Amino acid sequence: MITQLAGFNDAVHDAQSTFRALLEALARPGIPQSTVSLTPPAGLDISCAAACLTLLDLETVVWLQPGFSGDVRPWLVFHTGCRFTDNPKAANFALLGDLGSAPKLSDFCWGTAEYPEAATSLLIQLPGLTGGKPVTLRGPGIANEIEVMLPLDTRFWQQWESVTADYPLGLDCWYFSQNQVVGLPRTAKANFGEAAP
Amino acid sequence: MVNAEQQPLRPIWMSTLAKAPLPLLEQCVETLEHLPEYGLLRAPEIGLAMVRGRAEGTGPPFNLGEITITRCVVQLGEFSGFGYVAGRSKRHAELAALCDGLLQHPDWQDRVQAQVIIPLQTAAQEKRNTEAAEVESTRVNFFTMLRGEG
Repeated sequence: MITQLAGFNDAVHDAQSTFRALLEALARPGIPQSTVSLTPPAGLDISCAAACLTLLDLETVVWLQPGFSGDVRPWLVFHTGCRFTDNPKAANFALLGDLGSAPKLSDFCWGTAEYPEAATSLLIQLPGLTGGKPVTLRGPGIANEIEVMLPLDTRFWQQWESVTADYPLGLDCWYFSQNQVVGLPRTAKANFGEAAP
Repeated sequence: MVNAEQQPLRPIWMSTLAKAPLPLLEQCVETLEHLPEYGLLRAPEIGLAMVRGRAEGTGPPFNLGEITITRCVVQLGEFSGFGYVAGRSKRHAELAALCDGLLQHPDWQDRVQAQVIIPLQTAAQEKRNTEAAEVESTRVNFFTMLRGEG
């Protein structure tokens, strides 16, 4: 099946500005950035779709969470040419739409001591970027500290604690909702008000 | 989707469209009046492809060289038309993709076949004939003379 939806309106400039937004998001954790507008396939948010078009290409391996609508896969294949895998450990990028049923963070590739940059980058869609329990982030790119209210449960933040503990190994995440993106790099330490078990 | 009946014909028309000279292709497409609205699923883009060959057709593959390719995909209702042409002409790729899309469309296929594909094929055949006639006068035949050994 071939998708019937176009990609970026202006491939070069839209990809450049989205890439800048994604870099900015990781450089300034917790601060929402806006991406360009496009018509995404059913089930993908605008910002997440823009990030996919920007980051994925013929050489990237993607783990797509089962549960995305059937329109997403052909759209990604047509516009990016990316390959898919069923094994989260083998993926360069993982596209998640529902954290509740997603694998644990430890199931993704955290990179190796020689190549920490080979870790899986997580592209996570959320229903919104606020509305959750307040969590305080500290780390590079954050002046003192910043409070985020991402709708993530305590279980996630407990897993995040182990991600940041193994630096330089770890995961980098982007959270998408509508046309906004928030970055959470592996350097961001979270204080979620509860001691780890 | 291309139906089973058209499938074997598609490579032929795609090749005809890709090899046609652009001015002639423009001319033929102009004769199709009231073209339907179409969108660009993949706007014309220029890229490189590696051409590979095999010595004598059966040997191990080797890289012959890179070729500049322009490709385009148009969306015509439920049909997607693909155009891949050699060179850097975005217009050529778009017209080839448009014609490929129209040839899948039941209301258009006969008209496009008659007004675009057939004239292009005739023109290509004529060009081949003229060239063949031009070189015919300078034809040289090579013979291996019997040397009388054994």
